[in-house]
Parts: sequence; C-alpha cells; structure tokens
Amino acid sequence: MHIHLIEDDGKLRGELVKLLEREGYRCTFEEEFEDTARRALAAGADLILLDVNLPGEDGYGVCREIRRHSDVPVLVVTSRSTELDELMSMQLGADDFIVKPYHPQILLAHIAAVLKRAGKPDADRAQYKGVTLHAAQGRAAYAGRETELTKNEQKILSYLLRHAGRIVSRDELMQALWQSDVFVDDNTLTVNVNRLRRKLEEIGAADFITTKRGQGYQI
Amino acid sequence: MRLRAFLKDKWTFLLCQAGMVALLVALLIGLHFPAAGVAFFGACLLAVSAAGLMAEFFRKRRFYRALAASLERLDQKQYLALVLETPDFAEGEILCDVLRQTGKAAQDELAALRQRQAEYHEYIEAWIHEVKIPIACADLLCENHPGELADSLREELERIERYVEQALYYARSVHVEQDYSVRELRLDTLVKAAVKKHARSLIARNTQLQFDGLEQTVYCDPKWLDFILGQLIANSLQYTAGTPRLTFCARESGDAVLLQLRDNGAGIPPEDLPRVFDKGFTGENGRRRGKSTGIGLYLCSRLCRKLHLQLTAASTPGEGTTMTIAFPKDSRSLLQD
Repeated sequence: MHIHLIEDDGKLRGELVKLLEREGYRCTFEEEFEDTARRALAAGADLILLDVNLPGEDGYGVCREIRRHSDVPVLVVTSRSTELDELMSMQLGADDFIVKPYHPQILLAHIAAVLKRAGKPDADRAQYKGVTLHAAQGRAAYAGRETELTKNEQKILSYLLRHAGRIVSRDELMQALWQSDVFVDDNTLTVNVNRLRRKLEEIGAADFITTKRGQGYQI
Repeated sequence: MRLRAFLKDKWTFLLCQAGMVALLVALLIGLHFPAAGVAFFGACLLAVSAAGLMAEFFRKRRFYRALAASLERLDQKQYLALVLETPDFAEGEILCDVLRQTGKAAQDELAALRQRQAEYHEYIEAWIHEVKIPIACADLLCENHPGELADSLREELERIERYVEQALYYARSVHVEQDYSVRELRLDTLVKAAVKKHARSLIARNTQLQFDGLEQTVYCDPKWLDFILGQLIANSLQYTAGTPRLTFCARESGDAVLLQLRDNGAGIPPEDLPRVFDKGFTGENGRRRGKSTGIGLYLCSRLCRKLHLQLTAASTPGEGTTMTIAFPKDSRSLLQD
C-alpha cells in the first residue's frame, strides 16, 4: 500500500514516513510545494495524506485539484479544528479529516478506515511462521487445522501478525484494540491473549506468542 | 429637574429682581403715586419676571427630561452623546459639547482596546495552531523511538497538549456562536471518539470502561462536546487514586436526554460541590493535589450554557463523582439544514 505525503514540516514528515513504513506502508512525499496536486497524482499513491496549511499554496486548492482529476482517497490533516475547515475539506471531496496534534495510533486508524472504505483493504500480513489468519471467516489456521476466534482474539492476532518479529508492548496492543472499538482493560487482555494461545496450541502452534517479561508480546 | 432646585440656582437673580421692584415701589411712593397704582405696577413687574423664569424653567426641564429618558433607554450608556439634541440655551450647548467630546474620547479608547484584544486573540489562536506542529512531531518521535524515556516524555506531552487545547477552547469560547453547527449525533459514537482520543492516559492508568445505554441520539455540535467530554475524562483520572473505573451511561428523563460520566474517584466534598463550576475554584481536592487551575470545569459549564446544555455534578466523597450533561429534547429545533 502506497501513501503519498504532502506535509511541509520536514521533521514531522520524516517521522511520519518512519511510522508509516514501520506499519508496512510505502511512502513518497513532496519537498517543494509548486504544482503539488499534479505531482501528487503522478506519484500514483493509494492514499494521499494532505496537510492543508502549506506554504505558498492553498491546501484546499490542492485538494480540489486532486479530486478534479482522480478519486484517490485523500485524508486531510489540519491544525485548525474550526467548523469551516471541516466543511471545506468535506466539500472539496476529502475522504476524512484529522486534527493536529493527532496521536499516531489514531492517525493509523483513520488511514486504515479510509483505505477500507475506498475498497482497498489493508493488505494485512495474515501469515507468519505457518499461522494464517482468515479475517473474513474469523479463523486461524496452522498445518491444515483450523480454530475459530472471537473478535477480540482476531484483532490481537492481526496486530501481532502485522508487527511480526517485533516486541509489542501491552499498552501498544491495547491502544490499537481501543482504536477499533475494543475497549479491553489489562485483565481482559491477559485473558484474551491466554485464550488465543490455547486455541493456537490446540491446532499445533504451541508457543507461537511469547511473553517478553516487562516488555510485551512477540511472535 | 425640580422647580425648587431651579429657583435655588437662581437666588441671586431673584434677590436682584426683588431689590429692583422694592426700589421702584419706594421711588413711586416717594413721588406720591396712588397706593393702588403702585401695588398694581409692582404686581405686574413680579408677574413679568415670574413668566420669564417659568419659560426658562420649562425649556430647561424639557431638555433635561429628554436627556434622562435617552440615558434610561440606552443599553450602552456610552453612546449618549450620539443621541443628544442640541438645546437652545448656552449652558445646555456647553454640556452637549463636553459630553460629545468625552464620549468620542471614550469611544476611541474602546475601539483601540477592542482592536488590540482582537489582535491578541488572533495571535493566540495562530500561536496555538503553530505550537501543535512541534507537539505532533514530538509525539511521533516518541512513537518511533519506543522506550522508557519515550513513555515518560509522552505523558508530559499529553499534559502540554491538554493545556494547549484548553487555551484554544478558552480563546474560542468568546465567540462560540460563530463556530457552531448542530448535528444529529449518536452518543456512543461521540463518547467512544472521546475515549479513543484519551486512550493513552486511560490505558496508562489501566482504566476499566463501561458503556450503558448510549444508543441515544442528541442534537449538538460535536467539536465542542468532544472537548467537554475530554475535560471531564481528564478530571476523573486526575482525582482518582487507584484503578479508575469510568461508566458512561445515558437515559431519557422527562424532556431531556442525560449523559452521565460516573467515576470512582475521590469525590467532591458537599461544601465544594456548588462551586466546582466557578472560575478559579480549586477546592479541597485541587489544593491537595496542587495541579488544579480551576479553569477546566468552569470552561465546560460555560460552553454547555452556550450550547444550550446543562452540566451538573453530584458526588459522594470517597465513592466518586457523577457528571451529567442534559440535552434538551427540543434541541432538535436547533438543527440547521
């Protein structure tokens, strides 16, 4: 999945690229803000992240220009949360609107939601070390055997698969779950992870999720 | 203007008149005019003087009465000079002139102050939007460089962010009317969005959440409501020592939909309860924790009033606090197309 960034603050842009690449997105960006819309379109991204407060160019104009030529999803970022800004963004055809300072997890949730709405479901990494998550059927499979997962277990497994190999802290996991409307607390998370482990063990994937003491989980 | 006051002002003139009449009468008597004639002549003189005085009294009284009535009628008394009619006597003209000049000076001063305030206001809003960029950047830096330092720094960043947001909404609360649009909202969407926004601090405190009956629809401006909910959530966290348990529930009550946020925090002592929405009031809890500014709840209740909502607090010390926002059912009529 390819995201094109239109953001004038160099440092912020750099960190955004890091964040998005870590989440498995490919990123391109603008450094000069002339003819931005045409260049953004030429990048051929799956989603354009547009900061409307640009130097020298009207961000809303860019948004309108992009929409005139293409229906690529546009997520507008602004540091102003006035009614006018939101109205402008929506009327000019932006797909979503987010206000700075956004929490990284919220930004990621918005990006995923926009992509999903645009019919470009996030190409979740659904497989790791032989364990496959079939999100549509709510099942996990390993070596030809399958097990049914609850919604919470699916979300947990999906997040771990997405960040395979990396240690995921419990707080991070909980934040990601909360962003998808699963408001688990610490105890519930433990219960859910243990149940998920047991189910994976039943189909032969024992010790798939390891606990890193004081740090979190890793697959 | 009372007649007695008018005459009192005229006492030198009256004295001179009386003296003059007495002189004339004495002169005529000395010249052996018949007494009846002298009396008639004296009476005539007095009558003419009285008539002149009365004419002056009524003219002045008309002017001062009109002046008093204008003053009474005006909402903004400083505009009095603009509605004055110039009278036809010298003292009145001087008074009018003075009033006009002082009025104009006051107007100019006021206009300059307003201008300065508007400029400052504009600067504050622009500044807040500027400062959000480094905050967002620092936030991303923490996300990209996980670790103990990042976690700790992030907590501080959240505090900065909360203060910045408070400042922004405080600045904006002056003209809610200009930035306000009522929409049909589901309470669960609204509450969950607010919870997600504060996910990090809620999770860091291992908060247990409960939602109950939030399938109600209300009519309000989402942006302001989101801010109010955020302030209430932050307050609950601040005044809860152990594991926070927050319950969001909604129910209908008479002609309103009530949204309640219940916590299991320290609670508010009954003597503090009536004043928690006062500006600058920190109360027993605030003083003990020493981090209270007394602005959060004040701002919330002021915004609620402007949004036609009612914010109330109930509490049992030691058990928790319940904040209630009442959405009047007829607020549907506020819905703009």
